[in-house]
Amino acid sequence: MEALHFSGKGSEYFKIWIVNVLLTIITIGIYYPWAKVRNRRYFYANTNLANRNFEYHATGKQLLLGFLIGVFLFSVYTFVTQIAPQFAGIFMILFMLILPWLIWRSLMFNMRVTSFSNVHFSFKGSLGRSYAIFLGYPLVGFLLLMVVGGLASTLIPALNGSGDVPTNKTALAIGSIIFGLLIIFGYIFMIALIRAKSKEYIIGNSYYGQGAFSTKLETKEFIKIYAKAFGLILIPLIIMAIGMSSLHYGGGAEIVFIVGYFGTLLGMLVIMAYVVSRERAYIYKNTLLDNKVTFKSTLGAREFAFVMFTNFLLVVFTIGLATPWAKVRVARLMLANTLVDTSVGFDEYITQQQSSVSAIGEQIGEAFDVDIDVGF
Amino acid sequence: MIHGYWHPKGSASRFSATFEVNDLQRYSVTLEDGTTYRGDVSKLDISERLGNVARKITLEDGSLFTTLENDKVDELFKGRQKLNSFIHYLETHYRAIFVAIIVTFASGFAFFKWGIPWTSEKIAHALPYETNELIASGSMKFLDKAIFDESNLTKEKQQEVSKHFYDKLALLSLSDEKKIVYKLHFRSWKMGSTEIPNALALPSGDIVVTDKFIELAKNQDEIDAVLLHEMGHIVHRHGLEMMIEGTFITVAVMMITGDTSGMSDFGVGLGTALISSSYSRGHESEADRYAFDKMLQAKIDPKSFSNIMQRMTEYMATENNSSTSKDNNFLDYFASHPSTKERIEIANRYSECFRQGLTVCGI
Repeated sequence: MEALHFSGKGSEYFKIWIVNVLLTIITIGIYYPWAKVRNRRYFYANTNLANRNFEYHATGKQLLLGFLIGVFLFSVYTFVTQIAPQFAGIFMILFMLILPWLIWRSLMFNMRVTSFSNVHFSFKGSLGRSYAIFLGYPLVGFLLLMVVGGLASTLIPALNGSGDVPTNKTALAIGSIIFGLLIIFGYIFMIALIRAKSKEYIIGNSYYGQGAFSTKLETKEFIKIYAKAFGLILIPLIIMAIGMSSLHYGGGAEIVFIVGYFGTLLGMLVIMAYVVSRERAYIYKNTLLDNKVTFKSTLGAREFAFVMFTNFLLVVFTIGLATPWAKVRVARLMLANTLVDTSVGFDEYITQQQSSVSAIGEQIGEAFDVDIDVGF
Repeated sequence: MIHGYWHPKGSASRFSATFEVNDLQRYSVTLEDGTTYRGDVSKLDISERLGNVARKITLEDGSLFTTLENDKVDELFKGRQKLNSFIHYLETHYRAIFVAIIVTFASGFAFFKWGIPWTSEKIAHALPYETNELIASGSMKFLDKAIFDESNLTKEKQQEVSKHFYDKLALLSLSDEKKIVYKLHFRSWKMGSTEIPNALALPSGDIVVTDKFIELAKNQDEIDAVLLHEMGHIVHRHGLEMMIEGTFITVAVMMITGDTSGMSDFGVGLGTALISSSYSRGHESEADRYAFDKMLQAKIDPKSFSNIMQRMTEYMATENNSSTSKDNNFLDYFASHPSTKERIEIANRYSECFRQGLTVCGI
């Protein structure tokens, strides 16, 4: 197995990045799509495997229309929800309705404009399946939780006893705990299910040239990861509790603020790093290209959390100027921990004919932070 | 001669190859086994230079030559990609980078400091007046439910203040915007056991004064001063402006931090709060100036404004003597009002004009 290798340099990327920022500012944003292409290309083209590199093929012109539509929609959304917050719900529903479409279009577009060693990727998933996973499952899960919640709110007061019937404290406590656990595990189960299905959908419908990716993921593995992460959530809560209690013992507002802020941040980072690294290891282990090329992730949670946290400090204390170095550090770490079995070789792969897809869905998605990427 | 790899069209397989251009602007790609592909240079598609990433030269037949020898490619096709060469020039010259950093910070600062407030003001005033009513709809009900209680002032006192407000003050603003219909409301506002002295304005023209404020005001002039300040907010459409500013900040911040991942969300909230509070300080000063100008017109001493401000500040300070001045310093950054000291100074300067009998003050 061979690890991927990132050949970009922070200092080189800084210059590209700052020129991007400058040109975006002096063109009041119009340059943004071109800037994005240069950023992406820098990262893709510097990603190497077996001495061959990836490439990003989208052009600024291709992204411009979608970008303008995306910014317009996002501005309307922001303004309307400020004027009339009651519309936020309607926007949420509309957004949920088009989200599967956005994801589907983004996948098709992003895969098509990505190549490795002159061969393009492609995505052939169906729109229907995207709706099932990104709208159907969440909806069913939401309804189920509502039912459980409804049951709890009728049963628990009943246990509480009414009038002259004495309260059965034990039954009440047991009932509450059962319902609490039911809701928490129901929630974790839904997230794990959606995550497993969506990863299967994305990977299982991706192609490298004529070669198909395949993966078989079990929901229970994701449940294990999330259940443990749920346990870890207690860490930031404890840190916050310490922050709060320091107020009582004469600490000033500043200390509470700093301890609370950085403590919560660090705690959340650790959880995020844990989930990402474990998911990644599991997914890569179970992914195949053409039933023969295998993958592996060696990303460690601690290492990842450390890089993310130091990056955060780096970016904050340089008022953003260190962003390029931060991004290069992440890319380096991620790629060095992505292993591919290259013994089969790639010479036989050939780009398949694909119909072109506009970037509109992809760019609207980006405006609303729908992050669907080829990514490692 | 440029060294690199040649890929057949759409294929991942590759062969070591060299690339050359002759005097007649004909190119040739030669593989190690001697196979040569030739054609006209004008038919080549050359990818843009970006740092030192592999350069791609697509041949007429769709096959691809890639190389890391970027400088040689630039030399060979000089003048062919003018815009890209310019961008690459910027990206590789320290002087240009230095200028870029300065310009970025300066224009970023100018954009947030002046650009957003200026544009928002223009938009707020370009929108039909009814927008103000739209954004305030339901606010009064919400405030009544959430924070206010009914006023304990006597009917007579309320009528006295109202009459003066509608007969005198409301008329002063007729020249600004005829569609505004002012409505004065009396409420009691308690936080814990502390009664809060305050006055606030909704974009719809509703002005709320609290019992404690009326109680603290020593004379009609002081009430007028504060009410005129609130009218200033309404005339200048500050409510609407704040919403437009909020939209701008959100969109701008999203574009700036767009590709730095969710991490930035932590910084964004803080930054947005700081910027917004700096804008609302601007609004307060503007409303102050509006009040002072109208007071000069109506022959009211602007000193009354600083008097009542000072009294309200002192009252609040004695009520929360638990919060020390040290904390206040820290929280000053988040304060939506300009420091009271600053406001009082300006009021005193207007008061100077008033004593000289001027109705317009050149500050």
